[in-house]
Amino acid sequence: MDYDLPTGFDLIIVGTGVVESIISAAASRIGKRVLQVDTNNYYGGHWASFNLEDIQNLKQENNIDLGKQFPKNLSNEEDFIPLGNKLKCFPYFETEWHIAEEDSIDVLKIKQENLNGKENVVLDEGDKSKLDNDKKEHDDCADKEEDESVVQGEIEEAKEVEQNLNVSTQELLKKDYRKFVIDLCPKLHFARGNFVELLISSNIARYAEFRSVSRVLTWINGNIEVVPCSRSDVFANNKVSVVEKRMLMKLLTSIEEEEKSATVPQNTTFKDFLKNKKLSSNIIHFVLYALSMSNDETIWLEGMKRTKRFLGSLGRFGKTPFLFSMYGSGEITQAFCRLSAVFGGVFALNQQLHGIVLNKENRFESLKCGKQNITASHIVMSVGAAPVSFFKNPTSSLISRAVLITDKSLMDSEQEHMTLLLYPAGNKLITILELGHLTGTCPKNVFLIHITTEGSSNPKEDLEGCVKNLFAFGEQDSNPRKPKVLWSSYFSIPNTNELDLKSSVPSNVFLCPGPDLDLDYDFSLEKAREIFLSIYPDAEFLPRAPDADEIVIGEDPETATEVRASNSNLDISKDTEKSVEEERAIEQSSETELAIEARASCSELDTPSETDNTTKDALKEVEECAEAKENMQ
Amino acid sequence: MAKTYDYLFKLLLIGDSGVGKTCVLFRFSEDAYNTTFISTIGIDFKIRTIELDGKKIKLQIWDTAGQERFRTITTAYYRGAMGIMLVYDITNEKSFENIKNWIRNIEENASADVEKMLLGNKCELEEKRQVSKERGEQLAVEYGIKFIETSAKASIRVEDAFYTLARDIKAKMEKKLEASNPPKGGHQLRSSEPPRRPTNWLSRCTLL
Repeated sequence: MDYDLPTGFDLIIVGTGVVESIISAAASRIGKRVLQVDTNNYYGGHWASFNLEDIQNLKQENNIDLGKQFPKNLSNEEDFIPLGNKLKCFPYFETEWHIAEEDSIDVLKIKQENLNGKENVVLDEGDKSKLDNDKKEHDDCADKEEDESVVQGEIEEAKEVEQNLNVSTQELLKKDYRKFVIDLCPKLHFARGNFVELLISSNIARYAEFRSVSRVLTWINGNIEVVPCSRSDVFANNKVSVVEKRMLMKLLTSIEEEEKSATVPQNTTFKDFLKNKKLSSNIIHFVLYALSMSNDETIWLEGMKRTKRFLGSLGRFGKTPFLFSMYGSGEITQAFCRLSAVFGGVFALNQQLHGIVLNKENRFESLKCGKQNITASHIVMSVGAAPVSFFKNPTSSLISRAVLITDKSLMDSEQEHMTLLLYPAGNKLITILELGHLTGTCPKNVFLIHITTEGSSNPKEDLEGCVKNLFAFGEQDSNPRKPKVLWSSYFSIPNTNELDLKSSVPSNVFLCPGPDLDLDYDFSLEKAREIFLSIYPDAEFLPRAPDADEIVIGEDPETATEVRASNSNLDISKDTEKSVEEERAIEQSSETELAIEARASCSELDTPSETDNTTKDALKEVEECAEAKENMQ
Repeated sequence: MAKTYDYLFKLLLIGDSGVGKTCVLFRFSEDAYNTTFISTIGIDFKIRTIELDGKKIKLQIWDTAGQERFRTITTAYYRGAMGIMLVYDITNEKSFENIKNWIRNIEENASADVEKMLLGNKCELEEKRQVSKERGEQLAVEYGIKFIETSAKASIRVEDAFYTLARDIKAKMEKKLEASNPPKGGHQLRSSEPPRRPTNWLSRCTLL
C-alpha cells in the first residue's frame, strides 16, 4: 500500500456486494465523501465472479478467512465492537474434476493401437501423421479437430477414435482458466425491469455490455422443451395444439382483468387457479413454471404478478424478456463502483477490519481499519461484516448452487444460444442458465451451467435429481444426448433477505442483505434505495450521470469541485455546449459499436438479434408483442 | 444517421497515482493543461477522433477514476480495451518500478492481444529526473512494447504517443481481419444501419 487512507468521510461502506455498491454510487453521485472498503481482495463479496483457478482457491480460503480479515487482537485496549460473522462464509463449498488430468499414456496407447489396427485398411500416411500432430497440438483442439473430422469423415472406426481425442482434459481447461468467469450469483435482467431502467436512467449502462437470452426452455414430462415466449412463438410451436394455442392466448390477454376481478379466494395457489381455467397440462406447465417462474405453492396473485412481469419485458431486446451482463454478473457491482469512483468515491480492497467504535448514544463513530481509525457520519455494511451482536438470530436460509462445465449444449442448435431452463421440482423451482463463449464467460466448445434453487439440505442433495436428469458424469451414463460434465462445483450461499437487519442496529448503521433467489436485482435495488433514502431523505437517487463530454474541468479548483457537487445540474460551459451535442449525436451512432450496451435502449426497438436474417423476424415479433400487449389493455 | 468514423478504439490509461494520466488525457483530448484536478474526479473517459491513412478513428480513452490509488481497479475496466498506455513519471523512481506490477495486472485482466505502450511523462522536468531515458527504453524492449517520453504540461509528444498506439492497433486489426475473411475486407466494419445491426459483440469479436 502506497498511501494511508483518508480518514474523514460522510459515509463508509464495508463490502462491495450489489446493495453496498449501489448505495456507494448513489451517495458519491450526490457529492458525499464515500469510502468503500472490502476485506476481500476482489469486488463483489457473495456476488463476485471468479476464473476457474480462483474459484477453486476460494474453497480453501473459505474457512480461515474470517480471522484474517477481521483480526480482533489489537494491542491497545480500545473499546470497539469486533466485525465479521459466519454469514460471510459459504456453509458448503466443493469443486471436483470429472475428467482425466491429462491424456494419460494408456489412453494414448489405446488410441494409437486402434489407429494401427485400422491403418492398413483406411488410413494413409498423411492421416496418421496428422493424428500424431494432433496429440502434440492438442491445445488448440478446437479448430483442429474440426478439420480432422473432415479428413476422416467417412470412416466409422476412425470417427470413434476422433471422439476419444475430443475428450477434454483438465490440462486443456486449466490452460484456459482465465477465460472462465464463474458467478457466485448469476442474475438475469428483465428488459423492462426496474434494474434495467435504473441502468439506463443513471447512465451506468455505459460500464457494462449485455446479451439477450435467446431461448427459454423447461423440463416437462422427462424432456426439455422450448417455452413459447411471444405470440409468434406460440403459433410456431408444434408441441402445442391449436386449441391450446387459443387457450394460452386467451389467458395471457385476460390476465390484467383477472387480477382486478379477483373472484378467487386469496390463498388459492396459482396452480389450482390455472387448473380451474380448464387449461391443458402443457399450458399449465408453461405458464406456471416458465412464464411466472412459480412453484406448486405460489399463491395465484403472486403468480399473476410474475406472469405480467415476464410478459411486460417481452419485445424490447431480443426474443426473450431477459438480458445477461457480459463477462458475468460480477461486472454489475463493479459498474456501480466505477460510477462511485468517478464521482470521488475512495476504494480500498484487501483491508483488515478490526471493528467499529460506538459512542455513548450507541451511534457509530469510527471504523478500525488496519492501523487507522476512520470516521464518518454513517456506515453501511454487508451483512457478513456486521458484528454478531447486531443480529437477534443470525441464522439464515440458504441458496443452493451448482456450477458445471459441460462439453455441449443442453439442446443442440446451429447457433450458440444463451439459455434459461426452468426445472420444476415440486415445491421448488430450479433455474438453470447455460452460457456459451459469446457471453464472455467461458472458452469456445464448452458451456458453463449455473444452477440455482432454494436450499433445504446441502446443495448436492438439493440438486441431485435435476443434475442427473440433465447431465452425464463420466462413462456411466451412456445417453449420448446429455451434455457431459467436465468439472463441477457445489456451494451454498446464505440468503439473508429474511433476516431482521434493523432492530438491533445503531441508528446510523445500515446492513445490506446478500444475494436472493430472484432472477433479477429488483429486490437488491429496492433495499439499496431504501437505505440510501434513510440516510439522505431529500436526495435524488442516482440521477443521470453526465456523459464524458459534459464534464468540464474548471480553471480553478472551485469549479472543479462544483462539478462534483452538482447533483443533477450539469456543468456545461457555454462554448462546449454545441460540441457536446454533436458528440452525443456521434455517440448515438456508435451505440452499435459498443454492443448491446443498454444505452442503445433509448430507442425501444433496438433489437439485437443473432443474424440479419432473424432481424426481421424479431421485429415482427416485437410488433406482435406490442399488439398482444395492446390487446391486454 | 451517418457514421462519422470508421473505427472505434477503446484505450486505457494505467499507472501510479500522480504520474499525470489525467493530464496526458486532457492534453490529447482538449489540448489543455490543468494542475487543479488533484485526484481524478468526475473524469470517466474522453473522446477524440483522429485520422490515419484516410480512416477516421474514434479514440475512447478511459481514465482510472482514481481507482489505481489503492490498486482497486475493477476487472470491468479492462473489458474490451484494445490499447493501454502505461504511464510513469520520470521524476518518480517508484512509479517506474511499479510498471512491472501494472503489466502483471494487465496480463491478469485484459485481453491477451491488447496493444501496450510505455510513456515516461513529465519529461520537461529534466532537473528532477530519476529515471533515465535508457532505462525506459530497456524496459519497453523487455516487454516488446513501444516507448515515448512525453510532457503533458509542455505538450511534448503526447500526440505522437496516441497516434502511434492507434496506428499499431489499426494495423493489428486489419491484419486479423484480412486473415479471417479475405474477400470482404473491412466491409463488415461499417454498420450501415446503426439501429438494426446484428449482435454487435459478435462482429466486434472478429475485430479483436
